[in-house]
Amino acid sequence: MPTRGPARWVIAIPMALLAVATLYPLLFTLNVSQKTRREYVLDRFGLADGLHLDNVVDAWQTSDLGTYTLNSTIVTVGSVAALLLFGSMAGFAFSQLQFRGSKTLFLLILSALLIPFQVIMVPFFRVLGEMGLLDTHPGLILAYTAQFLPFTVFLMTSYYSRIPREIVEAARVDGASTLGIYRRLMLPLGRPALLSVGILNGLFCWNDVLISLLTMQSQGNRTLMVGVTALRGQYSDNIPLFASGVVIAALPVLVVYLFFQKQITEGVTAGSTKG
Amino acid sequence: MTGSRLSRLGAPDIDESSVSGAPDAPARAHRRPDAPGPGTGPVRRRRWTEDKVMPFVLVAPAVLIVVLLRLVPLVMGANFSLTGDGDANGAFIGLDNYRELFGDEVFRTALKNVGLLLLALPVAVAVPGLLATFLFMKVPGHRLYRSVYFFPVVLSPVIIGAIFNVVLSFDGPANQLIGALGLGPVDWLGDSSVAMFTVIGVHIWATFGMALVIFMAGFATVDQSLLDAARSDGANLRQTVWHVIIPELSQTIQFVFVTTMIGMLTGMFGLLYIMTAGGPGGATYLPELYIWVQQGQMNRPALASAASMVLFALMIIVGFAQLRLIRRATKES
Repeated sequence: MPTRGPARWVIAIPMALLAVATLYPLLFTLNVSQKTRREYVLDRFGLADGLHLDNVVDAWQTSDLGTYTLNSTIVTVGSVAALLLFGSMAGFAFSQLQFRGSKTLFLLILSALLIPFQVIMVPFFRVLGEMGLLDTHPGLILAYTAQFLPFTVFLMTSYYSRIPREIVEAARVDGASTLGIYRRLMLPLGRPALLSVGILNGLFCWNDVLISLLTMQSQGNRTLMVGVTALRGQYSDNIPLFASGVVIAALPVLVVYLFFQKQITEGVTAGSTKG
Repeated sequence: MTGSRLSRLGAPDIDESSVSGAPDAPARAHRRPDAPGPGTGPVRRRRWTEDKVMPFVLVAPAVLIVVLLRLVPLVMGANFSLTGDGDANGAFIGLDNYRELFGDEVFRTALKNVGLLLLALPVAVAVPGLLATFLFMKVPGHRLYRSVYFFPVVLSPVIIGAIFNVVLSFDGPANQLIGALGLGPVDWLGDSSVAMFTVIGVHIWATFGMALVIFMAGFATVDQSLLDAARSDGANLRQTVWHVIIPELSQTIQFVFVTTMIGMLTGMFGLLYIMTAGGPGGATYLPELYIWVQQGQMNRPALASAASMVLFALMIIVGFAQLRLIRRATKES
């Protein structure tokens, strides 16, 4: 319904203002991160007089951001790998194979979409403790995998169910085993969905604070987002350093967003329209 | 790890050519699908079982993880909520936790704040809906706006909260701006009658891009001929939205209501944790923060479990709609 004429331009004005309102807090933080402490105290709003990358270096060196980043990377990569593996396996089986109880098991997994982590937090903490996995990387990876698996299975199943059954049947006639079909047909054919779901899950894991806060309690095991909450206390009298830490923590997400915006929006809208 | 173990179970009997030879398969389609292919003689018996067993092997990790780490803990939590804390650890105390919960001023505030979320919900749906309509009209710069509006969605609530801690500080840019208009200053996070509205506002600021892209995806499915017909009948924008777009998008609108409400109920922990930690004076509690505080700081896991069950009941009410939508989606696919 592209409207022509001046109406479009009238509407564009509030749209542009809203875009400014969306970006301003982010740009303000970026600007503050480049000020010296003195500059910030004297003038909060003016542009920084040049780059002060040493703030970023300072924040990196005087806090444990390096350790936190490493922890977040390990846990995110591990969780995404597990989610993609288990999600594509289950998605293939639910969409392309006939077996007893298929529908029931699928609905069982989907029902977990209704259980947010907050609801099972207390028993989950105990179960993980009994498994000896509290405060370990594998424990947090398992927690994220359990948390985001229902969503992953749902998306992979609906993606794979769009692949015609004939392809699988033809491969089977040619003597391919089920596992061979998974490895040589489903994984390559599923690449667009795996990319989209993988990036989305990566963001979920990277951005999480609640699960990480609950399961990773020693300082050396903190993830980056939990680390950011600690920066606030550490740099309460040096806002530019605090802003620098925030910028460091947000940077990987910005890069991912710039490259994979399409995949991200496709992933989050995949369940919203029919099919 | 699991992958390589599985591949040793079943993979050796196929090679690349058996799959890439698929296109000429219809010519041989008269063969029963479970009949062994050429050259698979020695593994004939295994092969029959493979077809039957492999589906279960493929779904096993997902089913096991979800059942053991999501569904079983839910049942355990329901049980915990009926037992005592501290000295009474493990003893059955009936509904005492729930009684204590609803008598607790802080939890009552948390529920009252859920009510505020409900009041904010129409705004959180209507604003992105209107924006999506404008973007759909291809106003100048619509692609850029869409990218900008969506960006805060991918940022962690912790990052958002940290940024707004600075922006909303008493001498920060927010007060500077309204000061220029002759208003304020407002103690955005320190005034107990204001703080919850502030946090809700920040949450909507950070997440409206999510609803926006869902609306955009819905718009992509609207039948163009209906819009053309409306225009040739001389319908204005308001009539087109009211009589064509809203009916066509009813499923999308429902979906946005549900996901936005779930986001409000379960996605604000990071913001609350870094911006107010429940304060001032417990004014900004939500059930999720209450659960975390009782479990982690007050050492009251059973009471926390009872609060969890109340949150779960809220989720079920919202989720009823969600389940209906998912069922409809899976039926049609």
